[in-house]
Amino acid sequence: MSAIRNFDVGLVIAVVLLITFGLTAIYSATYVGEKQTEFTKQLLWAVLGLVVLTAVVVTPLKSYYKNAYLLYGLSVILLVVVLFVGKGAGTRRWIALGPAWIQPAEFAKIGTLLALSRYLSNEHRKLDNLRELTVAFAIAFVPLALVMKQPDLGSALVFLALVLPVLHWAGLSPAILFVLLAPLASLLSAFNYYSFLIVMILLSVTFLLCQRGLTFFLVNFIINIGVGILTPIVWNLLKEYQKNRILTFLGLVRDPHGLGYQVIQSKVAIGSGGLLGKGFLDGTQTHLRFLPEQHTDFIFCVIGEEFGFIGVFLVLALFFYLVVKGIRISTSVKSKFSSVVVFGATIIFLFQIFVNIGMTVGIMPVTGLPLPFLSYGGSSLLANLILVGLILNASRKRFEYL
Amino acid sequence: MVHEYQNLRRVYLGIVIGLFIILVARLAYLQIFSWDTYYRESERNRVRDVVIEAPRGLLLDRNGEIMVDNRPAYSVSVIPYEFLESQSATSLLASILNESSVELVKAVRKEKIGNFSAVKVKRHIDFSVLSSIEEYRLDLPGVFYAVDSKRYYPAGIRAPHLFGYLSEITRDELSQVEDREYRMGDLIGKNGIEIIYEPYLRGQSGVKYIEVDVLGREVRELPELAGSSPQSGKNLYMTIDADVQRYLEKAMEGKRGAAVVLDPSNGEVLAIMSKPDYDPEIFSNPLTPEIWSALINNEEHPLYNRACQSLYPPGSIYKLVLAAAGLETGLIELEETVTCYGSYRLGRRQFKCWKEKGHGEVNLLDAIQQSCNVYFYKKGLDVGLANWSKFSRFFRFGSKTGIDLPNEGSGLVPDAVYFDAKYGVKKWTRGLTLNLAVGQGELLTTPLQMAYFAMIVGNEGTAFRPHLVRKIEDPNTGESIEPGRERRQIVGISKSTYRTIKQGMYLVVNGPHGTGRASWVRGLNVCGKTGTAQNPHGNSHAWFIGFAPKDNPKIAFCVMVENGGGGGAVAAPIARGILTTYFRDNQLALGQ
Repeated sequence: MSAIRNFDVGLVIAVVLLITFGLTAIYSATYVGEKQTEFTKQLLWAVLGLVVLTAVVVTPLKSYYKNAYLLYGLSVILLVVVLFVGKGAGTRRWIALGPAWIQPAEFAKIGTLLALSRYLSNEHRKLDNLRELTVAFAIAFVPLALVMKQPDLGSALVFLALVLPVLHWAGLSPAILFVLLAPLASLLSAFNYYSFLIVMILLSVTFLLCQRGLTFFLVNFIINIGVGILTPIVWNLLKEYQKNRILTFLGLVRDPHGLGYQVIQSKVAIGSGGLLGKGFLDGTQTHLRFLPEQHTDFIFCVIGEEFGFIGVFLVLALFFYLVVKGIRISTSVKSKFSSVVVFGATIIFLFQIFVNIGMTVGIMPVTGLPLPFLSYGGSSLLANLILVGLILNASRKRFEYL
Repeated sequence: MVHEYQNLRRVYLGIVIGLFIILVARLAYLQIFSWDTYYRESERNRVRDVVIEAPRGLLLDRNGEIMVDNRPAYSVSVIPYEFLESQSATSLLASILNESSVELVKAVRKEKIGNFSAVKVKRHIDFSVLSSIEEYRLDLPGVFYAVDSKRYYPAGIRAPHLFGYLSEITRDELSQVEDREYRMGDLIGKNGIEIIYEPYLRGQSGVKYIEVDVLGREVRELPELAGSSPQSGKNLYMTIDADVQRYLEKAMEGKRGAAVVLDPSNGEVLAIMSKPDYDPEIFSNPLTPEIWSALINNEEHPLYNRACQSLYPPGSIYKLVLAAAGLETGLIELEETVTCYGSYRLGRRQFKCWKEKGHGEVNLLDAIQQSCNVYFYKKGLDVGLANWSKFSRFFRFGSKTGIDLPNEGSGLVPDAVYFDAKYGVKKWTRGLTLNLAVGQGELLTTPLQMAYFAMIVGNEGTAFRPHLVRKIEDPNTGESIEPGRERRQIVGISKSTYRTIKQGMYLVVNGPHGTGRASWVRGLNVCGKTGTAQNPHGNSHAWFIGFAPKDNPKIAFCVMVENGGGGGAVAAPIARGILTTYFRDNQLALGQ
């Protein structure tokens, strides 16, 4: 059957292994004796997810192309709805459907990816004019803004991280990419007059080197100055805890008893695991329920503490395999739409993996992004399995044009 | 397109490889190069969650006097991870607690959930144990003591049959409770009010996070990890009158028996007493088989609630039921007399009256007043078993009253069907009816049912479900709910019948030949009925029921002293004490 041919079994195995790691870690992290509700729930979601994955794989790619904007629209509607009826601790992130709570932000990632891919894969796309770029950014920024309102900074960042590489992949010229990234440099250097001055000089020189004319130079120059001026203003508008998170991460505020505490405990848990780990269910830090998000955002700590460097390396190897496979597949498919979809999905994984694990080891700020396939959370698991399904689907049909 | 992709592919693969190398390198740094630093750190600063038990709701009497309160007590717990590893800890703690270390370790292994959740090993330890633990801290890793609370009884009323007691939840009970609120080692109400109202009395525990060192000793609290505050359990304002209850504690001391006192206007239970009783404190710590079998095998059966669980033949007080049946069916007429010569002959048997010489000629009111057996033997045959059973059931004998206490007995009202089943059809005689007529034989009631009956007669046909709680108050919010009274109308008996019976009962206490004159109280029209129930195992059971005042009664009661002898001699004086205690403090009640 052509359904079985070209099916990338390795990918599926890798994902299943990752889910298994996740279930093991969740079991340990939520161990209170007889009742194991989180473990059971995650298991059920995994089974459901695999069924959904199969459905995603057998649906023809054309359907995704056709319905891309529709799915995008639906996910945006859900994002609006959750702002009104959503639940969460002080946030509005979940919609409660009886016993299951779903997180629209996770599914919006899929919707946005599909819409973006469709828009960018149109053969008339040149991506060198303002209109096209605005539309592309808008597709990503609408959900980003809605997610920010929940508030869920971590998930919002995914949309941002998605957009630039995907544009690049779809053909955006490096020059334009640079123009787009320049304000980021301005932003980061805006806190210090000297650093800002140096960065502005460097940027201005580079703009001139682009040789695109006076308008080009002036527009960019003004934009970057503007960012530099606005940044301190926006900074003051940030909520206290958000400021603290960033500062703590940057090491500018030493707060070992407050927000820094989570990361310190995380590093201690991971570091103390050593080469071989302390063994299943014997992680001293894990079992002390020191983080309310232990079975979600900080699930990696459980692996680190109980299974050591060996365990952690295995997980990273599986993730590496997943990401590299993704990139390979995205370069070997014939249709541009599929290529962008697969690439975008891979970027989503890469971003979440790096940010989450980076957070647990103290090289990224605490953002509340779940670790794909391992963190406890039905919506996240399901959405990630759908993304894998899309990758598998594209891989099967790689010899076809859409 | 393919070529563009090649370049892009290389770029992004490069980025991916770079990112992963960063992560692996960082992890290697943490887990391999800095391993001993972090390992030492992990030994030093562990976090534990500590459950903060919520204060359990209090039980107060109807006037607000606290009857069951909480008092701080210390208990010893261990963290299995550290405790079981250390030989010295296990043997030392065992000797401090005066237990075998083998048993202690076995219990901890059995009770523990994971290695890091604390296991309580002993509650309510005394000060010397506490100071030993403190003294030998360094040799007791994983051992700590904490304050929790125990019940105490400031009003001098122990009443374990009424209040119940607290004991540790068992694994069976834990699996039955849906709420994840309960953990092993929690106390849960058993018996009495503590169990019936457990969901109200139990508050919600809070949790706090503390940092502990490798020995499991608290280093500091962690306010930055948000715990939760405990919510106190709800307080129960009971219907009990502490003065009456205290009087009964004293009056029934050393006796076996029960007393139930109700407010007939709403079914509130003013007092309920069962003796002998026991010290509820014995259940705070897990029972040893010795203690348990001593309790079970105690001949006095202290665990039985004689007020509403145990079943007894009511004796002469049940004559009133026959009277009601007779009046209502017209088979007893007020003026009709029967002559009592001291015994009644049926077939070949003589059924004795308690007065050897006989009472002479008596009508219904006389027979009630003097409790003449012969009158009721005769009338029992006239009325017949079927009517007798029917009216018994009208008065709800043979069913539970529905009081909010566990294990209420329903009693037994025999009828023809019952006797057929027991002896065989046509294998039993009317002699059985004779016994039932005077409240002996297979008839079984509880003292509660008899007090309930007194309420019905006093109210002339209205009953209320006996209940023990009049208000449940949430101390956290100040809100309260009042369960209110549940009315039940008794059908089948007319007002005039009730009035006649009441008159008879009035004469029992106030009449010149009344058997219950020992309960007479000046200025209060007390009505009552004595009972002396013979039983094969010894002396008769002494019963006395009644209500006061005659019209619009404010109190209904039943007193029963097992093997106490004569109802009039033994039970009636206790009833008098109830009345004087209650009305002394309730001028309002007397005035009406």
